[in-house]
Order: sequence, then structure tokens, then C-alpha cells
Amino acid sequence: MTTNPPTPQRPAAAPGASAPMAFLSMAPGAAIAVAAKGLTKHFGNFEAVGGIDFDVYEGECFGLLGPNGAGKSTTIRMICCLTGRTAGSLSVLGIPAEPGQRAIKSQLGVVSQEDYLDPALTVRENIEIHGRFYGLSPQVASERAAELLEFMQLDGKAGQQVRALSGGMRRRLVIARALMGRPRLLVLDEPTTGLDPQARILVWRKVRELKAQGVTVLLTTHYMDEAQRLCDRLVVIDHGHILEAGRPRELIERLVGRECLECPDLDAAAAEQLAAALSPEDEAWHEWQGDSWVLFSPNLARILDRWVAAAIAPPLSYRRPAGLEDVFLRLTGRELRD
Amino acid sequence: MLWPRFTKGALMVFRRDFLSWVKYYRSSVLLNFGEPLTNLLALGFGLGAYVTKMSGDPFVDFIGPGLLAVTAMNAVTFDMSFEAYDRLNENGLYLSMITAPLHPAEIVGGEYLWEACRSLLYGLVFLVVLLPLGIVHSWWALLLPLPLLVTGMLFAGPALWVATTAKNHEQLFYYFTLVITPMFMFSGVFFPLTHLPPIIRDFILLTPLVHVVNLTRALILGQFPATLWQDVLWIVGYTLLFMVLPGRRLARRLMD
Repeated sequence: MTTNPPTPQRPAAAPGASAPMAFLSMAPGAAIAVAAKGLTKHFGNFEAVGGIDFDVYEGECFGLLGPNGAGKSTTIRMICCLTGRTAGSLSVLGIPAEPGQRAIKSQLGVVSQEDYLDPALTVRENIEIHGRFYGLSPQVASERAAELLEFMQLDGKAGQQVRALSGGMRRRLVIARALMGRPRLLVLDEPTTGLDPQARILVWRKVRELKAQGVTVLLTTHYMDEAQRLCDRLVVIDHGHILEAGRPRELIERLVGRECLECPDLDAAAAEQLAAALSPEDEAWHEWQGDSWVLFSPNLARILDRWVAAAIAPPLSYRRPAGLEDVFLRLTGRELRD
Repeated sequence: MLWPRFTKGALMVFRRDFLSWVKYYRSSVLLNFGEPLTNLLALGFGLGAYVTKMSGDPFVDFIGPGLLAVTAMNAVTFDMSFEAYDRLNENGLYLSMITAPLHPAEIVGGEYLWEACRSLLYGLVFLVVLLPLGIVHSWWALLLPLPLLVTGMLFAGPALWVATTAKNHEQLFYYFTLVITPMFMFSGVFFPLTHLPPIIRDFILLTPLVHVVNLTRALILGQFPATLWQDVLWIVGYTLLFMVLPGRRLARRLMD
């Protein structure tokens, strides 16, 4: 970026204020798949997760969003019984989560960020042996492997070495493998990172099909369009704390409004001029998203008319519905994360 | 200290190792036999032409049984150092095993079972090589599978501990350069320890390989020194002691 962007003006309501409590009472009576209360994890002096509360209901797709280093992966690892917690409580499928808790792990399917596959084995062997790790008999493992390879559209590849697979196929195989134990809870840690659009669409379709079969899905992703499509509810976490929680549509309307005006490649002076022409009645706020200056307001039409009349309307601009990406950027800021 | 668990899950880890071995056995057999076979032929028949007797036996008879023990040790050590390092750090195999409901102690158990079989397999094939050379002198050699199985477990523990501790491949080489190779040279494979200074001999007797060499030599040549029971005790003791080494470390690496 060549220009020094102005500090975005934000509406009065502070992000995170009392929202999680309202969120918890949204679906009373639904069975709870994951319940976290004051969940905390320290690594030495570093606080990776700083006391978070959330419930995941059975049968929903729940999103865990946040920048790199926000505490998502640590939270996932605690849920998968791969690491202990420092404080707070965590129950998964009604069982207290402890490292190595087999009663939980046997009902879990995990798709980790990296496509860890056994390079020595074929596609079919990879998922069959994983089924055997879950305690399946040879017959059941073999039947289920065939069924899941078909489900993930890999049935033509069963005899191949995994080295020969494309990135998209590897990912699908990891997902098929995670389903070998017929999980009640499927954990997807960035399931579509690095995939081409066709492969992403296939993964989304499969996640919806699984949800329709009653599988609870816990998803982390960096793609806000993905979260918006798949998640029934989500939390945005950063620096180990929950910033906001809710349904995607509700979060968007509450935090950034229905629509916005995006002005690509605007220079800083022009943006300042436009900002100066805003009045408090416009209920507007704006921010830089890369090289685009974006204006959020429930009164966009009125503002545009005024700009046109004053002959200061930007040369290039378009109105678009506000999305989860706008929410995410507003909550977590623009600084690059490692 | 964490005891390995020999459960049904461990058997599946064993099964995975077997499936993988079946794919690669051609190249891996060559790798593990090339060196001891070269040693046997070059030293046994080359040097053996000059050194005709060693402790009263033909030189090739003396080194053959020792090289069998070394073959078993190396087959296990390579697998549990380089391969296990990759399973832990490179290809995520152990991580995918513990996301399925396996415990790290079951992974260790499965790896031990497989290494026991590996040691047996490679030891027996080497025995088959020794047979036509007329080196096997006793029916007691039929008992070899037992010490070979135990030897696999014995050397699997320390190697897996090294694999879970090493930060890179280079550090694994240290294990070979500083531990495995000196043990190979000084454990009575090529020459008896009788003429070494007592302090060096006593030190060597504190290491495990020498006892395995004594035992395999006794069974293959049918000569049983009065101190053989001590070798057996050392082997069993070290096996139990080393068995608990890597479990805790692997668990910590996988579930911090």
C-alpha cells in the first residue's frame, strides 16, 4: 500500500459486548455436542486460549474463525483430546475432554490442516487401515472404505499410490478417512485451503450432505464465503478471546449492515474528501480493505446523491451486499498476521 | 517411563508396518544385507585366508554368527530411527494414528511387535545365507528365532527414543556414528574380547550387542561358554529397561 490509510471510524457498539450470552440462548433445548466454559490454554507464559465460552449444538455446522495465531487450532486440539487444557471445562459429546480420551476420539472424525497420508500405502489401504485403528473388523473396514471412496468420488483411484493424487484428491481422501469411524462430530480444520474452486465446491456439497445425515460439523476456515455458506453459527476469535458470536446473517447485519459501497483504487486525498462530506445522520463508517475504500451505511443512496450533486463522486465504485469478510476485517483489523 | 501397550490397536500399527514393508521389501532387503554380506565375504574369505583361526574356529565361522546379530540390529535401528523420525515429523503418520483412537503407547507397542518380526525376518534370511557356507554347526540354531525376536525389541526402544528426540536427520546420524558403529566394531563380532585391557572389556560388557553376539554364536556353533546365562540376563534386562524409554517422549511430542 502506498498511502497511509486513515483510521476507520467505527459505530458506537463495541464488538463483543454481551453478544455471546445472547448467542448461547439461541436454541434452547437442543442437544449439545461441544460445551466449552472458560476454556483456557497456556503454553508457558503464552496464553493461546484465554477463557472462551461456546456451545456447539448437535446437527449444526459451527464455525471457528480467526486470523492465524488466534487460538483456533489449540481449541480444536483440545476438543480432539490431543492436548489438555489449563483451566475451564470442556465436554465433547457429553464426555469430559481429556488428552487421549478414547470414548470421545472413537466418535470423532478429524481432518487436519495438512494432508497427512501414508505414502507407502494405496488409496484404499490408507483408509482401510484407519478404519482398523477405529476397531472395525476387516469386512466392515473394507465395505466402508469402498462406500466412502465412492462418496468422495475417489472410487476410480482405489488402487493408486497416494503420491499420484492431486491436492484436491488428497484432501478428499483425508475427508473420506475421517469418516471411517462414522463420526458423530466431524472436525474440519481449514478443509479447503489450497484447493481449486471445483474441489472446494465438491467439499462444500459433501459437508452439507453429511450435515443432512445428522453429523455435527466443527469448521475452521480463512475463507469467509465458505463460512457464510456452511456455518449455521460461528464465533470469531482473536488473541485467544471470542470477539463475536452468532449466525452469519445476523452478525453481518448487526456489525456492518446490509450493504456497502466499495471504491477500488481510491487515493487517500479523495477518500478524505469523501469522508469529510459525511454527516452524523448518515450513520456511516468506512475503512480501507487493501486498496479499496469501503463505506458502510444504511443510507448509501442518500450519500451517493449528495456526492453526485457536489461533483465529488468517486470515478469507480460499486454497491454490494456486506458480507462476513467485512465483519471479520472489522473485528480483527487490517494488520498482517504471522 | 511409559510401558508400551500391546493391544488390538497395536496390532493394527503392526499391520500397517507390514503392509508398507511388503511394498518396499526388495530395496530394503538389499540395503540391510548388502553390508553384512560384503563384510562376511570380504573379511571372512579375504582376511580369513590370512587369519585362519579365531579362538579355535575358522575366521568365517567366528564372524558369521556375529554378523547375523548385527544384521538384526541394523534392520531394526534403521527402521526405528529414520523411518520413525519421518512418521513423527514428516508424513504425519503418528499424528493421524492418534486422531483415530490410538494411544501413543499403542503406537510404541505396535512398532515393537513389528521390529521383533523384522529382526526375526532379517536374521533368518541371513541364517539361510550362512547355511550353504557351512557356518551353521549345530541344531541349536533352530532356537535362534527366540533371541532374534527379543533383539528386535531390544534395539527398537533406544532407536525410537533417538527418533523422538532428534531435531533433524543429521542428529540421527550421530546415533549411528557414536553408538551403533562403535558397538558393531567392538562387540566381539570380528575378534574376541579376551585380549583387550580389562577396563575396556568391562565397558564393552555394559553394552547390549556383545551379549546378543555371544548368544547367536553359541547357538550357531553349538559351543556354550559357562557365562552364557549372564548374556541372556543382560539381554532380557536391557530389553525391559529400553522398552519404557520412548513412550513418554512420543506422547509428549504428539499431545503437548
